Amino acid sequence: MFEFKPILSTLWHHKASALLIALQLALTLVIVSNTLLIITDRMEKMARPSGMDIENILTVNFLAIPQDYDMAGAVRADLDMLRALPGVVDATHSHQIPLSGSGSANAFQTQPNQETGGEVANYYRTDPHFIESLGLALVTGRNFTETEMQVLAPNEQRQAPVIIVTRQLADKLFPGEDALGKPLYNGDSPMEIIGIVERHLGAWPEWSKAGNVVFFPALRTTQSMNYLVRTESGERDALFKLLADKLAERDSERVIEVNTLSNHMARSYAVDNMMVKVLSTVGAMLGFIVALGIVGLTSFWINQRTKQIGVRRALGATRTNISRYFLVENSLIAATGIALGAAAALIANQYLVRDYSQPVLTLLPLGICALVILLVSLGAALAPALRAANISPATATRSV
Amino acid sequence: MIIYYISLALRSLRSTPILSALMVAAIAVGVGAAMTVLTLNYMMSRNALQHKDNVLYAVQLDSWDPNKANDTANEIPWQLTYQDAQALLRSDIPTRQVAMHRFGFTVEREDSHLRPFVASARVTSRDFFALFDVPFLYGGTWDSAADQAHTQVVVLPKATNDRVFAGENSMGKSITLNGEPFTVVGVIDHWNPAPKVYDLTNSPFADAESLFVPFGLHRQFEIDTWGNDSGWDSGSKSEGYEGFLQSESVWIQYWVELRDGEQKQQYETFLTAYIQGEKAQGRFQRPLKFALSRPSEWLRLNKVLRNDNRVLGWVSLAFLLVCVINGVALLLAKFLRKAPEAGVRRALGASRSALFIQHLIESAAIGVIGGIAGIVVALVGIRTSRHLAMGWIDTVASMDWLMMLAAIGLALFASLLAGFYPAWRISHTNPAIYLKTQ
Repeated sequence: MFEFKPILSTLWHHKASALLIALQLALTLVIVSNTLLIITDRMEKMARPSGMDIENILTVNFLAIPQDYDMAGAVRADLDMLRALPGVVDATHSHQIPLSGSGSANAFQTQPNQETGGEVANYYRTDPHFIESLGLALVTGRNFTETEMQVLAPNEQRQAPVIIVTRQLADKLFPGEDALGKPLYNGDSPMEIIGIVERHLGAWPEWSKAGNVVFFPALRTTQSMNYLVRTESGERDALFKLLADKLAERDSERVIEVNTLSNHMARSYAVDNMMVKVLSTVGAMLGFIVALGIVGLTSFWINQRTKQIGVRRALGATRTNISRYFLVENSLIAATGIALGAAAALIANQYLVRDYSQPVLTLLPLGICALVILLVSLGAALAPALRAANISPATATRSV
Repeated sequence: MIIYYISLALRSLRSTPILSALMVAAIAVGVGAAMTVLTLNYMMSRNALQHKDNVLYAVQLDSWDPNKANDTANEIPWQLTYQDAQALLRSDIPTRQVAMHRFGFTVEREDSHLRPFVASARVTSRDFFALFDVPFLYGGTWDSAADQAHTQVVVLPKATNDRVFAGENSMGKSITLNGEPFTVVGVIDHWNPAPKVYDLTNSPFADAESLFVPFGLHRQFEIDTWGNDSGWDSGSKSEGYEGFLQSESVWIQYWVELRDGEQKQQYETFLTAYIQGEKAQGRFQRPLKFALSRPSEWLRLNKVLRNDNRVLGWVSLAFLLVCVINGVALLLAKFLRKAPEAGVRRALGASRSALFIQHLIESAAIGVIGGIAGIVVALVGIRTSRHLAMGWIDTVASMDWLMMLAAIGLALFASLLAGFYPAWRISHTNPAIYLKTQ
C-alpha cells in the first residue's frame, strides 16, 4: 500500500538530489548527537550543587598599602563592623574565594610522614563563622571555637590541631568508616577531624578533585585578605556599595574590591557556558538549514511532477494517497541518511573521546537525536506534500 | 562576455528572490560560524615570539617529588624553585636569560589625586625586555645590581604611565608601590603578546602586567607569587620567608636565549652538571631530566589551544559542509527549473562550457554576497563569544584583515564547490527535450 516500487524508481531517477538530502541528514545527526552529548555533560557540570548560598554572598578582597599593616587588628575590626550591619547574616575571613579559580591545595594522608598516597585537597584558612557565612551544612561533629583560632605570620608553617573537612574527602580517606575524630597528616603532627560539612565545591570547579576540601581555623597575616559576607535573601545588591564604602571609611590604607560569589562562579564556568551556548546555536541553525533544504527540494520535485500528480488524481488517487507518497519518499531518504549518520556519529565520537577527552556517545541519546531529525525532516516535507494534494486532477488534461 | 554572464547571474538571482536569499543566508551562516571559531582558534594559536623561535628556550628542571612524576605534559614542572633560578642566573653561557614571576602591588603617586589601585606586576631579571623584544619609549632596563640587591626601581608600560603620569616622560619620577617609593627607570611602548607565551601558567590570554620590577626585591617585600605555586616537600630547612625561598616549591618561570647549537649544547652540559651537583646534595632525586622548549613547542606543550577549541573547530567545519551540501541541493533545483531556458541557449549556439561558466558565476555571486554577510555574522559571533567568555579571551577576540579576506575566500570556495555539480548538470542537458514542449 505504500507504493514502494514507484517511489524507489523515482528516487533512483533523482538519485543526486535524494543523496544530497540523505547526506545532509547524516551529517546533521553526526554533529547534533555529539554536540548534544557535550552540551548535557557541561550542563550537568554547571548544575552541580556548590553547597553554598551562592545568590546571597558578597566577596571582598583587599590589598593593604603599608608594609607594616596590622592585618590581625584590621580583620577583627572589619568583621565586627560587617557582622553588625543590618541585612548581613554573617561574615568570615578566608585566604581564598570559593569558585574563584585561585586557591591552595595540599596532600593529606591518614598516617604520619606518609610519602605517597593520601588525597589532594583544596584548603581554606578561615574562622568559626565560615559555616554560617557560606551557608554550608555541618552534618556531623562541631564547629571551630574562637580559642582554636591561630594567628600566623606570613610564612609560618604551624599546623592546625583541628580541622573540618567535606564529606567527599572524609569518604575518600576513610571509606566505610566514620571519619569524625580521626587524624589527618601532612607531615608528622596530627590534625583531628572535628566536623564534616555536607559538601563544598572549593576554589576550582574545573578541577577533577573539586569537592575535596579542608578548613583550618587560622588567619595568616599577609598583605592581602578576603572576606565572605552572607546577606539576607535579596539584600545582596543593596549591600554591595555600602560594604565597599564602610570598609574604605573604616580604613583607607588599602585597595578594596567587592564582588558577588555568583559572578566568580559565572567566570569559572564561562568556558562551559560558552560551549553550551555556541553548540546549541549551531544545532538550532543546522536544523533550520536542513529543513530549508528539504522544503526547497520537495517543492521542486512536486513542481516537476505536477502533471504526474494530476494524472494520478484523475485516475482515482485520493489526496491522502498523494501526500502520503511524498511523506513516504521523504521517510525513505531520511532513514537512509539517519542509518549512515548513526554509524558516522559513533565513529566520530571515538575520535572525540580519544583525542579531545569528550564523553562517550551511547545509543539512547543517539536514538533520540535520530528521532528528532526524522521528525524535522517529515515536518519540513509536510507543507509541500499537503500542497501537492491540492493539485487538481484537471491539470492532467492541460499541457504545461 | 564575463560582464554579460554576471548580469545574467544577477538577473537570475533576482527572479527567485526568496530562494536566492535563502541560499545567501545559508552560506552566510555557515561561513560566519566557521569564521567565528576559526578566527578565535587562529588568534589563540599565534606565536608572538615566532621571529625568535630558534633562539629562545623555556627552561624546565625535574626537581619534583621522588615518589611521583609531575602531572604536566612532559612530566617536568612548568616552573622552577627560587633556589634553582638563582643558581641558573649565575651561569654566563646564555646570551640573555630571565627568571621571573607574576606579583602585584598597590599603586599611588605622591601629591596627586590618583586613587590608589592594585596593579599586576612582573618581578623579573633585567634581560626580560631585550629577550622578549619589548620596545622602550623612554629609558631602559635597570642595572644588573638591581637583580641581586634591593633597589626600588620600576619600568612602566605605556598604559600605566598614561594612568599615573598622564603620558609624560616619567623617567626619574617617583611612584609609590605598596607604600614605598620606586623610581621610574623606563617606559615601554604598548606590548601585549597574545597568547602570553612568556607566562602560560596564568590565563594565557590575559593582558601583560602593569608594572615591571627587579628580581632583587624578594626579601625586602617578602614577595610571593600571584600565580601558580606548587610544592611536594612539606619539610623546610629554614623558618619564615627564607624557608619559602629555600623550599622545593616551584613558582619561577625561566627563559634563556641561546644563539646557536653550540651554545645550546654548552648550556645543556651546564644544566646536566648542575643537576648532578644538586643530586650529590640530596636534591633532584628523580632520574636526571630537564627540557629546553622553543616558544612554538612551549605553546603546544601548554595546550594553549584547548580541546574545546579544537572540537568547536571541527563542529564549525562540519556545519559549513552541511551548508555546502544544502547549497548543492538548492542550486540543483534552481538550475534545473531553468533548464528550458538553458535548452534554448544551447540550441541558439551557446557551448556547454559557456553555460557551465555562466552558472558557476551565478554560484560565485551567491558566494561573494554570502561571504560579506558571513563577515558580519562572524563579527557578531566573535563579539558574543568575547562577552560569553567573561574576560578570558579578550586579547584574542578580534578579527584582522587577513581573516576577513579568508572569510570571503571561504565563502567563494564553498559556493563554487556547491555550484560545480549543478552547473555541470545543467550544461549537459539535452536541449531537444525542452524545445519540444515549448
